[in-house]
Amino acid sequence: MNYEGVVEQSSVGLTELMKSGEEIFGYIYPHVPLELFMAHGLIPSLIRALPGKAGGFEESLQTFACSYIRNLYSQRANGQFLTLAGLLFPGNTCDSLQNLGDVWKVRFPDDRVFRLTYPITRYSRDDSTIKFLTEELKLLSENISTTFNRPFLKESYERAVELVRDFRDSAQFLYSARVVNPKIIPYSDVVRLVRAFLTVPTIASASAVKDAATMVRNTADELGLLDTIEVVSNAIRRGDFSEVNLPDDLETPRIVIAGGMVEPQAIAAIIKDLPDISDSVIVLDLLSFGFKTVFTESPSESDDPFAAMAKSVLSAPGEPTHEGLSYRMDAMKGLLSNFSIQGLIVCEQSFCDPDQFEAPSIERAASGLGVKTVRVPLDPELSDRGRIETRIQTFIETLE
Amino acid sequence: MTQERPSEEKPYRRLETQALLQQIAFRHGLEAMEASENGNLAWVTSGFPVEIPIAMNLGVVYPEQAGAIIGAQKIGPEVSDIAENLGYSQELCSYARVSIGSTEKPEEVPMGSLPTPQILLACNNICGTVLKWYDAISEMTGAPVFLLDTPPIDKVQLPHNQEYVRRGVERLIEFIGSHFNRTLEEDRIREVAELSNKATRLWIRALESCKNKPSPLNCADRFLTMAPVVSSRGTEHCAEFYESFVEEVEDRVKNKIGAIRDEKVRLLWDNIPPWHTLRFFNILASRGVVFPADTYTHAWTGNMVGVDTSSILDQVVGTYSKVYLNMGLDAKVDKMCELIKDYDLDGFVMFSVRSCKRYSLGQLVSKEIVTERTGVPGVIIEGDMVDSRLYNAAQIETRVDALLEMLM
Repeated sequence: MNYEGVVEQSSVGLTELMKSGEEIFGYIYPHVPLELFMAHGLIPSLIRALPGKAGGFEESLQTFACSYIRNLYSQRANGQFLTLAGLLFPGNTCDSLQNLGDVWKVRFPDDRVFRLTYPITRYSRDDSTIKFLTEELKLLSENISTTFNRPFLKESYERAVELVRDFRDSAQFLYSARVVNPKIIPYSDVVRLVRAFLTVPTIASASAVKDAATMVRNTADELGLLDTIEVVSNAIRRGDFSEVNLPDDLETPRIVIAGGMVEPQAIAAIIKDLPDISDSVIVLDLLSFGFKTVFTESPSESDDPFAAMAKSVLSAPGEPTHEGLSYRMDAMKGLLSNFSIQGLIVCEQSFCDPDQFEAPSIERAASGLGVKTVRVPLDPELSDRGRIETRIQTFIETLE
Repeated sequence: MTQERPSEEKPYRRLETQALLQQIAFRHGLEAMEASENGNLAWVTSGFPVEIPIAMNLGVVYPEQAGAIIGAQKIGPEVSDIAENLGYSQELCSYARVSIGSTEKPEEVPMGSLPTPQILLACNNICGTVLKWYDAISEMTGAPVFLLDTPPIDKVQLPHNQEYVRRGVERLIEFIGSHFNRTLEEDRIREVAELSNKATRLWIRALESCKNKPSPLNCADRFLTMAPVVSSRGTEHCAEFYESFVEEVEDRVKNKIGAIRDEKVRLLWDNIPPWHTLRFFNILASRGVVFPADTYTHAWTGNMVGVDTSSILDQVVGTYSKVYLNMGLDAKVDKMCELIKDYDLDGFVMFSVRSCKRYSLGQLVSKEIVTERTGVPGVIIEGDMVDSRLYNAAQIETRVDALLEMLM
């Protein structure tokens, strides 16, 4: 299925749920506690930029607004948005999303707009960030209770924790399995499953990820790779690669995709469509809607739910909007050097400050390890698809 | 727009205190070099609580001001190029680009490159870019970054936000303390806070004098004279400068001497100015257009009065969190409407700065609201504060002309 097909399918799934009377709560920044919405009886759905030409932002946003927010705004202005019960904007992540939330409230006054403000500090060596986010989550929860008359139900929360954990465990296994053997399941299948869950996080979409993980587990067992996959998974979670020992007969080239709020499915589709290149060259992505969502820890059952969700959100691998460039570069270097990576594709959303500031550091860090890089400026509409394909194809060919 | 007149009878009046300003800038530069040589220099963002590093006896410099100097010398594109060759996109903040460029090749930027920092102090109350910019400088210089995170607030600062920022300020003191092996002394922070407060009060007095007709100051005057309150508040020489400055401004008011010779139209300026083309204001002055108020220089108007360290730190938390850029679109619109009313302005010009997303995104919406609420017209012009490649003078002239036709 092509990228546009996947997008269409996700949308159909959402529409069906809405027809059945479910209330959908959209969110834009991937690091939200899905469990909180589910505990209120709402279905959280990740709202993403859509491919295809978009216009309609011009009356409210300048052309130098990041291409991602222009796309989101255009969807809403052009009536391409589903009717959502509410929409959550992030606060304190990037300037563009911060201001988009304000503009949205003015332009679409009937939309129920909420905001969850994040701490940027990550290395305070105290509990101030957890305390701050815990309070923000409580406020959001109270706001949802009042607006929708849907209280936070502990039983629903516990079920949600289990559902999201099932998804994450399976998705982490799939990601780790591909590091050991990228042919074990196509990258495009993994990110399609992840996308489906984040769009409609239900038992059905979680089961699809679990089924895929079971199938891959069986294959890995037959190939004698299960232990190695487990070691890789632990290494990624702990950031300690000392036990990792990948098989000697790894197929090359092995590449990683880096970037922020870039759609993994779109990158997978581009690479899959390149002549004589399979998506098994992609060993791992480090994208916000892929790796960084998947490798977030689940809330601990022993803690207060709000503190547990805050800790979970803050455990996500670092985004360029956070404090700690050197920590992020060290983490990336750990992955590149221990997973035998030859090439790194750095995706940069046009006019995206976090992506564009981080890219030169990524390039330098990779270069220090002898890993080749290519920077790919893009927008969600893939308006320059031909150039992007040529750039990636040429890059992969240089690695072969 | 007509060109600026070259004769002695310029349409605007130069401030006498500008000479003092040059002395302060020179002194500040020497002190910064000495601090760097002694291993005591901090780079700070414009919205950083500079009183704390000053009270802990660090030298401070302000890279945004260096960016303005580079812009004013019209070498922004060349210095940006250095950063762009290192891989930093032309779409990024031009303050950051020229800062990175001048750090990489200081020998090519004799005026505007800063002495090597020992620490980098960023506060994200003005934008999120500062952290990423300082991270890049940290990679180049090895100086560690401290981020004072001030999450945006909506109307009021809630207790958990206050507590979080307060903890950040405490960590800042710990960070400087452990890095330089020193402590924050109560006498010293009280002294610095008092001096900072004195300079800020004088600055506010000068700004408010512009409510008079004719306005004693134009935009360019304020953009130039704001430098000490941004970079040196908390020092004696800063307060002394503003004493002289206010004296001159109030003398102008008393004698009805305007910043421009023939004031006809009073406008509000929104956003950072085009440092490379400050004559924009002088050209308009020749047509009788004065800018008695702007949103940029009114950003440095917070007070910090306290009786002990703890109460001063509480003031720091409130003052630096409530910068209006940290309070969203409503606060910005309120501020613009308040300035238009209080300064009796006829219209407004919004400079849409391609570099600065936090300041600029939302202007298309706020323009409509401000006009609706105040009844005065406005115009949006687009460009950049440092990178003159992104400034189209002809297009800007056409837009401003259209506004003036409505008003004159």
